[in-house]
Order: sequence, then structure tokens, then C-alpha cells
Amino acid sequence: MPVIHTIDINIRGHICPSCLLLTLRALNQNGEALRAGTAEVVVVTDDRHATTTIPASVDRMGFHTEVTRIDDGYRIRIFGGV
Amino acid sequence: MLEQPYLLIILSSLAIGLTAGFVMHRSDFCVTACFRDVFLFRDFFLMRQMLLLVVVGMVLFEAGRLTGAISIYPFPGLGPPSLSNVIGGFIFGIGMVLAGGCVCGSLFKLGAGSAASLLAVIGMLTGSAFYAEIHPQWSAFAKSTVLIQGVITLPQWLKLPPTALLLPLATGGSFWLFREFRAGRMDRPAFAVGHLAPWRAALILAFLGFASYVLIGMPLGITTSYSKLGAGIEALFAPEHVNNLGYFAVQSINYTPPFSDRPIIGGPGPQLDAVSAIQYPLLIGIICGAFFSAARLGEWRLQWRLPRRQFVSALTGGLLLGLAARMAPSCNVWHLWGGMPILALQSILFLVGLIPGTWIGARLLARFVIR
Repeated sequence: MPVIHTIDINIRGHICPSCLLLTLRALNQNGEALRAGTAEVVVVTDDRHATTTIPASVDRMGFHTEVTRIDDGYRIRIFGGV
Repeated sequence: MLEQPYLLIILSSLAIGLTAGFVMHRSDFCVTACFRDVFLFRDFFLMRQMLLLVVVGMVLFEAGRLTGAISIYPFPGLGPPSLSNVIGGFIFGIGMVLAGGCVCGSLFKLGAGSAASLLAVIGMLTGSAFYAEIHPQWSAFAKSTVLIQGVITLPQWLKLPPTALLLPLATGGSFWLFREFRAGRMDRPAFAVGHLAPWRAALILAFLGFASYVLIGMPLGITTSYSKLGAGIEALFAPEHVNNLGYFAVQSINYTPPFSDRPIIGGPGPQLDAVSAIQYPLLIGIICGAFFSAARLGEWRLQWRLPRRQFVSALTGGLLLGLAARMAPSCNVWHLWGGMPILALQSILFLVGLIPGTWIGARLLARFVIR
């Protein structure tokens, strides 16, 4: 089983739209690895809006998302290669 | 016990503010994002919701005028169109993007615990109070650049009954929105707990604007209270200076509200008056409504750790917003939710400035702030 490299993005309390902008930058930098299934991006945020905008934007780029609620916000896992 | 008409005004404003704060938090209905996301992400989703709000507001306000539910038309606080509306809108656009939210957006985010929004609000109070220093010059400029004297709305300028313009616009807008609904472009998956679809929020906010117009005599507006609060704080340190500033003696509101037989008067000065009665409860309501929403979801927490660049951006954006809201005069909520539905020329010009301002703000934000 291949080792999956996790790229963590921790964004709490930042001004809008830090969450989406930084996530898109990470996806642009690591798009190939995500598509190959060797990497995933995990965003931890308190921005409720990002739980809507990130899945919508990421979906258009051909990636998948999984949103879960955690103690102090939301965890958005972005992955490809499925 | 407060006398009429103040009791009705204060209670109405508070109820409207509480509902608006709750709804905006649950739906993330942010006017700044509506415009900014078009430029930053080519995302028109929230802009569609804004159009829905304007079209519904158009129908409600016109129906209110025709049935007599709305007695003051156009509403107080509007004036003839001037170049100052465009410039004010332009600076407002830059400021709201850098601040991460407009005058209302920052309030609901502050209520949910955002320290960045607290900084933006502090910037707005400072910018609004600072405007008093340049008011004589700016006011002279605004008067000298009036484009059409004695006219407030587009129908007035064209010498048409309001319905002749509003009916085709609202009908065309409704057909377009209906198609967008059918194509599934007015909704999208949401994962936040207790999420309210933005289109539902747009409807509620349009009704709140209508309720404000019917009960208080004008739609939602909040920015004069920023000047007032800013002046009050300044007066603690420099009372003489505040007393000597002509702007703080201006009485910008003087009208007889619905359900009242006498006029109410108020302005941006630090004293308690009609502006305090209308806008302070709205301001407090929005913060408390968002706080209540976040607390009920178990999501309220103070978020104060943010990068230095964002600290500077929120404060600078707030300053620009506060200043521009006095220069324009007024904010995007007043102009887009209130003025656009009656085709106020000032509001149309504000929008003309707001769009390029938002574009510049989005470029500055992506290049220098969020890195």
C-alpha cells in the first residue's frame, strides 16, 4: 500500500477568504501527487463558509472532499485518484 | 418608559438586527464575498443570491408603495446623485475586501468571535470619526459634482411612474432567477452544522429590509452610528475638538416616521438621538444574533491569532470602509438592499464605484495579504 503524504493546512481566525485561497494554492502546488493518490490535503478551519466553498471549487478541479466536524471547527480532507 | 415613536423604533430595530445576525451567521451571507468571489474565484454563486435579494426587495418595496404600507417614498437619507457616490463606492470596495467583511458582515463575524472583525470594526469607527476632519471639503466637492439636481430615483429622472420601470425589471429578474433555480445554480452542498441556504437568507433579509421600511420609515442602514460611536469615543479624549467639528452638529435625519405624529431628528454627533434609536439596536442586534447562533451550535470561540499582515489588512480595510461610508455616503447594505430596489441614483452610482474597488481590493488581498 503506498504511503500517503498529508499536507496540513491549519487556518483558524483568519480573514476571509484565506481558507479557500490557501487551499487552492496548495492544490496547484501538489495537484499531480493528489491525482496520483500519493498525497492528500487536510484543512482544519473554523470558517463555516469554507465548508461550502472548498468542496464546490475542488469538485470543479476533479478532486474529492470529505468534511467532518471536529471539536474546534471543521476538517476538510481533499483527495484525488479515486 | 420610552415614548412613541422611539419604543417602536428601538424594538423593531433590535428584532430585525437579531434576526439578521442569526440568519447571516447561519448562511454565511456576506455582501463582500458576493462581489469579491466573482473577481477572486470567478464564483457567481453568492452574487446570484444578492440579485435575488434585490429583486425581492424591488417587488416588496413597490407593492408596499402601491398598497400604502410604505408611506415615505423615496425614503429619507437619500439625495441627488453626485460623483462623490462613485468615489465613496470605490474606496468602500477596496476597504471591504481588505477588512474581510463590510459594515454588517464584520458585525456578524465579530459576534461569532472573530478578532479580525473586531479590528475591522475598530478601524471603521476610527475612519468614520476621521471623516469629520475632511467633511467641509468633501461636502463642498459632493455638492459641486451633483450630476442631476433635485432628483433621487431613476424613475423620477425619467419622469416615469416607478412601476413602469420596476415591473419589467422585477419580471425579467424573476424569470432569470427561476431558470437559475431550475438549473440548480441557486443551491450547493453545505456541510456546516445548522447551515441555512443563502437563497433562504436572501428572502429573509429582503423581508427584514421591507419590515424596517414599513415600521421605521427606511430600510436597513447602520453607518451613521459608526460615526456617532466614533465621535463618542473621541469626545472622551478631546471633547473640545469634537464640539468644534461641524460634521458632528449636522442633523442628517429629520422626518416623521410611520405610526408617529411628530418628526424625529438625529445626526452623526455623539448625542443620543433618532440615529441612536434606529441604528444602535440594529448594530447590537446583529452582533448578539450571530453570537446566539454560534453559541447554540457550540461554535463560538474567540479567534485572535492571525498573521501580522492580516492584522494590518483588517485595520486598514476598516479605516477605508469607515471613511468611505461617510464619503459615499452610506454602505453597501443601505445602497444594495435599500436603494437599488427603488432605483435610487445614488445607489446605482455607488455600485458603479464598488465594482472596480472590489476588483482592486481582491488583487491587493491575494498579492500582499494572504500568503
